Amino acid sequence: MRRLLTLLGVVLVAAACGGSAEPGDVPPLPETSPDHLQEVLAGSELPVVLNVWASWCIPCRSEAPLLRAAHESFQAEVDFIGLNVRDSQEGARAFLNEFELTGFPHLFDQSGAAQGSLGAGGVPLTLFFSAGGELFDTHFGAVDERTLALNIDEIIRR
Amino acid sequence: MEFTLLWSALTGAGALYGALWWMGRRDTSLCVRDLWELAITAGVIGLAVGRVAAMLRGGVNPIAHPGDVLLVRSGVDTVAASTAALLTAAWLAREDLFEQLDGLAPAALFGVAGWHAGCMFRGACLGTLSDLPWAWAQSGSDLTRHPVELYAALLLVISAVALFQLRLRYPSPGLVSGLALVVVGAARLLTEPMRPSLFAGPVWWYAAGIVAGGILAGWAVWRSRRIGSAEGTAPLQ
Repeated sequence: MRRLLTLLGVVLVAAACGGSAEPGDVPPLPETSPDHLQEVLAGSELPVVLNVWASWCIPCRSEAPLLRAAHESFQAEVDFIGLNVRDSQEGARAFLNEFELTGFPHLFDQSGAAQGSLGAGGVPLTLFFSAGGELFDTHFGAVDERTLALNIDEIIRR
Repeated sequence: MEFTLLWSALTGAGALYGALWWMGRRDTSLCVRDLWELAITAGVIGLAVGRVAAMLRGGVNPIAHPGDVLLVRSGVDTVAASTAALLTAAWLAREDLFEQLDGLAPAALFGVAGWHAGCMFRGACLGTLSDLPWAWAQSGSDLTRHPVELYAALLLVISAVALFQLRLRYPSPGLVSGLALVVVGAARLLTEPMRPSLFAGPVWWYAAGIVAGGILAGWAVWRSRRIGSAEGTAPLQ
């Protein structure tokens, strides 16, 4: 028991010492609105993976590497869009810098109104759209590799 | 951990316990409680190590973000998890290594099969496209696909029953453990081409598992024959 408490203490101290991320060279995210978001989705010639995230969301941190890998693999066939909700510009930019998620565009939705127009709440959230903006599937919570790969395959083939 | 994945984990643990109970009724030499504790401890440690490895691979610092370790849904490194679980099991069973591992191996295969079959709760059974009669489509789609996770589960269950019978008939220390390793590696290797994936799976590690299991099983047979010939009997023909 004493060893376990010591280990727990070490982890907590290490966590407290963990450095916070900086925004770096990431530019401010463009603001969006419900109408603008719908226009972006409807105007896309490729299928779209829309990931709703926030820098304060712990599961978003864990799925970020998967999204980066998926974008690198499928960027020629699928458009990836990030929708940052109920967050600050500084926090969002620091998050993108830390996880090197700057390869695809991200929109800033501080009020959450644009997300509300999608009909689904909570973060993280990943929506899969066919080309032209038809919603195929909504995944609630952190997305896993299998779900991401399977749904990308579905929207590419539709 | 999301609740859907929790159901999958519970299915695996339930299958493991059910298999141990069933085996314990047919083989009174098995200590079901010890094997259950051994399996659960190895499984939990394997899961934690695999999760930390996946975080490191994804660029997430586990010391700066210790709470992320609990987000199993976001990825577990299969190779690290399997290696840690096997090493933990071997260390815990070190005083009676092959007797305990051989007793546990068929039940462990049931547990892994239960984990795969738990895809039914998560809606995550499907793989690549297929026109076979038993292929099905996910909700909202008309593209039918292989239920690849159920293939793996079926293969593991059949193998587990066969290995349990083998252990009863030919109790050669290490044989069942080695063959179980071969089966787990083969189940992943055979189903891997049917799994949708962002990355190439660690197929060389699966192949390494098959080779290591084959060597262990071969050693067990050789040792058994040597002992048998020294005693004037042949336990393995």
